[in-house]
Amino acid sequence: MKQPKILFLVIIALLPLILVSCISGGAQSARGWSGTAVHDGIIYVGTVDGRVVAINSSTGNLEWSYSIAPVTAPSSGFSCGQTSAPTAIYDTPVVDRDIVYIGTYNGQVLALNMLARSQNLSFPQKRYGEWEWDCPIENARSNAIVADLLVKDAIYVSSSNGRVYSLDKEFGDEKWESNISDEKLWTSPKIQSDTLYVSTFDGHIYALSAETGKLLDWSFKSQAGFASSPVIYEDIIYVGSFDRYLYAVEIGSAEPEWRFPQEKPAGNWFWASPIVNEGIVYAGCLDGRVYAIEAKTGEKLWEFDAGNSIVSSPVLMDNLLIVTDESGTVYVFDLSAELANEGVPWRTIPIGADVRSSFCAQEGLVYIRGEDNQLYVVDIDMGGVSWKVNLTIEE
Amino acid sequence: MSFLDVWYLIIGNPVLNVLIALSHLLSGSFGLAIIALTIIVRLISWPLTKRQLNSSRALQDMQPKIQELQKKYGKNKQKLQQEMTKLYKEAGINPLGCLWPMLVQFPIWIALYQAIMRAMATTPENLLDLAQRLYSWDIVNQAIPLSSKFLWLDLGQPDPYFILAIIVGGTMWIQQKMTQAPAVDPRQASTSRMMLLMMPLMFGFLTLMFPSGLALYWAVSNIIGIITQYFVTGGWGYLKFRSPSQST
Repeated sequence: MKQPKILFLVIIALLPLILVSCISGGAQSARGWSGTAVHDGIIYVGTVDGRVVAINSSTGNLEWSYSIAPVTAPSSGFSCGQTSAPTAIYDTPVVDRDIVYIGTYNGQVLALNMLARSQNLSFPQKRYGEWEWDCPIENARSNAIVADLLVKDAIYVSSSNGRVYSLDKEFGDEKWESNISDEKLWTSPKIQSDTLYVSTFDGHIYALSAETGKLLDWSFKSQAGFASSPVIYEDIIYVGSFDRYLYAVEIGSAEPEWRFPQEKPAGNWFWASPIVNEGIVYAGCLDGRVYAIEAKTGEKLWEFDAGNSIVSSPVLMDNLLIVTDESGTVYVFDLSAELANEGVPWRTIPIGADVRSSFCAQEGLVYIRGEDNQLYVVDIDMGGVSWKVNLTIEE
Repeated sequence: MSFLDVWYLIIGNPVLNVLIALSHLLSGSFGLAIIALTIIVRLISWPLTKRQLNSSRALQDMQPKIQELQKKYGKNKQKLQQEMTKLYKEAGINPLGCLWPMLVQFPIWIALYQAIMRAMATTPENLLDLAQRLYSWDIVNQAIPLSSKFLWLDLGQPDPYFILAIIVGGTMWIQQKMTQAPAVDPRQASTSRMMLLMMPLMFGFLTLMFPSGLALYWAVSNIIGIITQYFVTGGWGYLKFRSPSQST
């Protein structure tokens, strides 16, 4: 009988088709895009292979490295059983005295002591002030930590389970937990006057007591979700939205002060948090443009088209505005020069690798982790990459 | 332009954007959007489905003649095949016509799988990638990000309770049983029975492996198929039919 044979052939044909769909169009695995932090001549960054590394900023030598336990998760698609993958890190390390704090995509916050790590002692060394906190919800995938905030004696952590946690900085004890959203929280809270402000994917800005985690009376609701972490400047919150606008919301107000662009929306989302300096908001957009906007009125002062998506937040160093686009070109605008007011970069420096991570700048140098898992140190005066180091450990 | 670029331009991105737009129209429910898309796909493929159902109905009507031929030429398979082909030709039936609606749906399945994984944005990389694939329609951008919750399901993950696997397998079995003509020859009957079980089992298994959003599409598609078959062919078809080998 031919019909069953044909059906059988169809079944056989179906399998590779679906397999192809898994490979070419399914979910991209979480690789992470940890940002860089510099403290006392050491660069701290999370790597693609799930490690936190400390690199000497003068020599480029590895000071220490700590491998986070890999994630074990049920596989999807046609593979059976469990798979093991390096722990993704999206969070930027926060350094406070001799401790490096970092949140991981498998729902942990780690406090790493520099001395203990340089001696490669087992983790955590409590006598050195090390601790590890695991998000207390069962499904580790839903606890991913993408951003956090360190203030005084507490760390505030946003989790993919929709909760904000406050942890004691010294011991990692949980002070409070606040369930604010049914959606994942991938944005970092911001603090002002003992109040935390959190922007959510379901389009809210919530105000929480930093002391207790209780929701305060004021919240703001937008029609679309918020894509970026909020930034606060003179009691106004600036935040990017999935509806392709940047919003300015005065704390306590139910209506936005303005939204940018004023007429039709931008070409894509304002994914990266903007920065505000001397009354001007600098915002990078996934449409490849950098916008300078009057903070009070929302009027555009200038724009610059980088041509590639801007994923990382801009950084200010003295009078220099530093922007990277996703293709790995660093644009430096000298805000004291006349050209900057026309949106013309003073320096354009390609590093030769894609960039999605947040980056930092200090003393004329910009520290960038590329998607190729290399650390690039860009010398602005020199106008090029001063040195780079491969963050992947050779087996 | 590579094959993948063409694929996303013509099928992948339109399915993704339509799905997200439907989700916004249906109170932000991605599950309802998948159901609505299933209905749209079934409506688009209706001419093919109708042809398939008509073939199925004609095959059903021809059963006495087919059984007669099977009895007459049961031992001479080549002759039986020739006579069957002649019979189909005379009646203007293509017995493989039932495969076309399924083949048409293959690209939709793949696009839907990709759309679900992308729209659910289970990782920050996926969410960033999604930004590059969305149209500038307000209705699409206001729907982002989507909620993956629907009934007991997380549409981006397989159903952990096996309920959807049973529904997908069960409805597929019923749908196939309604159209698959029983064979007289015991060996053929055994092959038919195996095939009747194989597809539902395979799709039940796939349901355990793939996001439940895709399985929801399969389940709804099967249910619509059963309903349309019931009304077009005027009943449960071969579901209530006892093959001669069973009756003897």
